[in-house]
Amino acid sequence: MDPIQSLTPALTRPATTGPAAVSQAENSFGDILKNMVAETNQSQQTADQAMQQLHSGGEKNLHGAMISMEKADISMRYMIQVRNKAIEAYQEIMRMQV
Amino acid sequence: MDIFTTFDIAASGLKAQTTRLNTISSNLANAETTSTPEGGPYKKKSVVFQTEKLPFKQHLDQSMQPRGGVQGVKVARIIEDTSPPQRIYDPSHPDAKADGYVEMPNVSTVKEMVDMMSATRSYEANTTTIKSAKRMAMKALEIGR
Repeated sequence: MDPIQSLTPALTRPATTGPAAVSQAENSFGDILKNMVAETNQSQQTADQAMQQLHSGGEKNLHGAMISMEKADISMRYMIQVRNKAIEAYQEIMRMQV
Repeated sequence: MDIFTTFDIAASGLKAQTTRLNTISSNLANAETTSTPEGGPYKKKSVVFQTEKLPFKQHLDQSMQPRGGVQGVKVARIIEDTSPPQRIYDPSHPDAKADGYVEMPNVSTVKEMVDMMSATRSYEANTTTIKSAKRMAMKALEIGR
């Protein structure tokens, strides 16, 4: 119930503010994508470090390495899905007859 | 992300159960140890679990939500069993007392085996939690397809 309530004002806000909000949304989508790529990269690096520490017999334990790998995997898949959607939308617009 | 909170909590469970298995292996390895640096036979060790405070960021995220915070687990401390040692009559043993009795550790191998099975099952339960969290995340990603 709570997420729906918190989402409603966020969804209605761009509609009321007009064209300025659209350009802002464009920028923010790029920012979101950039952040997402950075975060995914970060989680990949964490997984890499965990694996290296495991191989060199550091403090990190087996399940810790596995879990950071899983986190990296899920972040990666999520990023790929967002990218697919963005490209799909772009192609849909490019196909549009004017 | 919420799914990653599940991961972190289950990871704390995995870590706690690993520590528990460490103490069990210590107990089993020293089931016949009659002398220790502190003097006397080896004493059975066991773990005490405690809820764990999550890192600050997650703690903040949770306190923003109306529901109560979820918590991980950690090993608060490792305690020694103070029950008296087993006494076995063996005058030829180097650690035998003047009356010919040797003090053996208060470790029951059978109990340790049962404890080990319990630790293994708890570990499996935590890995199953991680698996379901991952399956849920995968299902959520399938929405877009």
